[in-house]
Amino acid sequence: MNINQIKKDFPIYNQKINGMIPIYMDSACVTLKPNQVIKAINKYYKEFPACAGRSGHTYGRKVTEEINHARKIMQDFIRAKRKEEIVFTRNTTEGINLIANSLNLKSGDTVLTSDKEHNSNLIPFQLLQEKGIIHKIFNFGDIEDFKSKLTEDVKLVSTVFTSNLDGTSQPIEEMIRLAHKDKSLILVDGAQAVPHKEINVKKLDADFLVFSGHKMLGPSGTGVLYGKLHLLEELKPFLVGGDTVKNSTYTGYEPEDIPERFEAGLQNYAGIIGLAEAAEYLKKIGMKNIEKHEYKLNQYISGKLIDMGITLLGDTDPSKRGGIISFNIKGVHHHEVAGILNESSNIMIRSGMHCVHSWFNKHGLDGSARISLYLYNTKEECDILIEEIRKIKKFTE
Amino acid sequence: MICILAMIVFGILGIFSATHRKIALEAFDCVFRRVTLRKCETGLDKRLKSQITGKLMRKNPTVARFTFRHFEGISWFFTVIFIVSIIYTGIGGYNYYLYGNCNGPNEDGFCIFDPLGSNSKVSTAQTEASCSVEPQTKESLSLENVNLESFPKIDQGAENDVVFIGCYACPYTRDSYPTIKKLAERQDVNFIFAHLPVKEDTRFISNILNCINEVDSKKFVEFNDELFSTDVSVLRNEDYLLKVVEKIGLDKEAIRQCSDTERIQNLTRLQISEIQKTGIYGTPTVFINGDVVVGPKPYRVYKRLLK
Ligand SMILES: Cc1ncc(COP(=O)(O)O)c(C=O)c1O
Repeated sequence: MNINQIKKDFPIYNQKINGMIPIYMDSACVTLKPNQVIKAINKYYKEFPACAGRSGHTYGRKVTEEINHARKIMQDFIRAKRKEEIVFTRNTTEGINLIANSLNLKSGDTVLTSDKEHNSNLIPFQLLQEKGIIHKIFNFGDIEDFKSKLTEDVKLVSTVFTSNLDGTSQPIEEMIRLAHKDKSLILVDGAQAVPHKEINVKKLDADFLVFSGHKMLGPSGTGVLYGKLHLLEELKPFLVGGDTVKNSTYTGYEPEDIPERFEAGLQNYAGIIGLAEAAEYLKKIGMKNIEKHEYKLNQYISGKLIDMGITLLGDTDPSKRGGIISFNIKGVHHHEVAGILNESSNIMIRSGMHCVHSWFNKHGLDGSARISLYLYNTKEECDILIEEIRKIKKFTE
Repeated sequence: MICILAMIVFGILGIFSATHRKIALEAFDCVFRRVTLRKCETGLDKRLKSQITGKLMRKNPTVARFTFRHFEGISWFFTVIFIVSIIYTGIGGYNYYLYGNCNGPNEDGFCIFDPLGSNSKVSTAQTEASCSVEPQTKESLSLENVNLESFPKIDQGAENDVVFIGCYACPYTRDSYPTIKKLAERQDVNFIFAHLPVKEDTRFISNILNCINEVDSKKFVEFNDELFSTDVSVLRNEDYLLKVVEKIGLDKEAIRQCSDTERIQNLTRLQISEIQKTGIYGTPTVFINGDVVVGPKPYRVYKRLLK
């Protein structure tokens, strides 16, 4: 894996701010985009900017073909059994909402989530409580607690694979096994997992897996909901209208086949095509290589920060934290840490509660500074980062 | 504290740009919350603090560290300085309006509203003949014990008395003349013109003026109009002056002879010594109902002193 070669694919690195090349370390929010993806998006707009499915003309046929191809690529990317199991969405949030509102959950049914979920995997179930659905919470990563909460009334477990707050992953395979043993369905929020590790949904056996394209080099506003075909067939679509039906009368309709049944209205074709290109790009580099690279950088940064006496959130073992390092410097607010890094050396990291307010509130914290790495980050960038953090740390000494 | 500073600074910048307006609103929200003993929610304080510290860190980490540690104190310092300077600007603006200079009546220090100082320039009134030992000051200017009887005047029994002391050849008197003329033409003003020949070689103009005034006390206005609007280089030319005398309808030969008399020359000498009693140090100097204005000022400054 030649990072310098990879960097050349990202046009953002041609840019200079205050005479310095930016150091982007907020990939858990949105990643940078390589030229290949940008070209693919442009290709749609320049060469066949039309509707898929609906129109039979030359452009229409071309878009349909490209979207089918993109679906196939995404199927391969997560090793799904069939391409019909891939539903294109706008993002992870939409995927979760789609399941929360389309599964036939009834009053008295229970949904189980962890205590470290992104708001996207929390609020939809809080809303369902209005319909009498019960929402229970287990401690993130705590298998015993998970088991104890996994009672008969649990119809759906909806939980995150890798936390966006601190990068820690849960033993998801075991959790899926336990959920199935309990005859409950399980939705895996893969927003921080799919972009960073090899995923095989067949092996994983998750019922649903959701992730976002913009966190894996894809265009913003793209995402995927994977669902086992027989489960998708049982869902009652909640977003309906154009493209979700084959035929309609004034009193009824014949639903479209799966997966188009869930893709209501005109889709983000350019985005979907770009997303497939991103998946191809990642595949070419190799997810194992990316995972290894992130781990190496994480280990390096974590070690230096711990040496400085800085507290990290989540597991102290970097191998369990993917590409994320969440930390706080005593005496310097996390917003200040992020702001200073940005101003002093164009290092872009995120600060705040990272949409996991519930966990921070529970622990009486008001947030953290978060470094999130990806394939384009280098050791040299990490050195600059560490040096700047060292200077900030000195502010308090 | 930084929010107060930001609110004021961006509030002013916000008049011109929408982005600054947004920051000003954020700052206002922050200040309002602080005043009501709540936390500032916008994060503006932290954002500004980190932006400033970050920028400094690029240049000098030690300065950045100092700024970070004493940020609240530094913000206080700048806020106080800022508020004080706003107050001074306000006072300056007020003074400028009233007196034509930010620093107060007849001051000549730098004034931002009149950066070239054109409202405060004077020609020195030390006549070559005078041998005043002590330099005169603003405070000593007064018409007390000054006999103004012999000077050209427009006396219409009005409630305001304006005495204009100037010199034909002095640039700032010349600058102020159109404004003074406007003042002199008012129905509610009695006007006296006292010519101070700062340069010895213009003393003869005083003689001519006095003669004109003796023949026809209304003619000095026309004479002044001509002399203040012509090029300054011709003023020392007697022929030119006599031409002006002719132009305003008087007998130039009679005026010339009159101006050569001992009597008139004594009168001029007397007038100069009367003018010097006022403590004058620069022309133009205008007395209005006991107040005094030195230097060419905007009309409003004179007008304000009228009853
Ligand atoms: C773990 C996790 N879940 C869900 C989301 C929401 O993703 P999106 O905003 O793309 O819907 C994020 C985004 O940061 C995330 O990290």
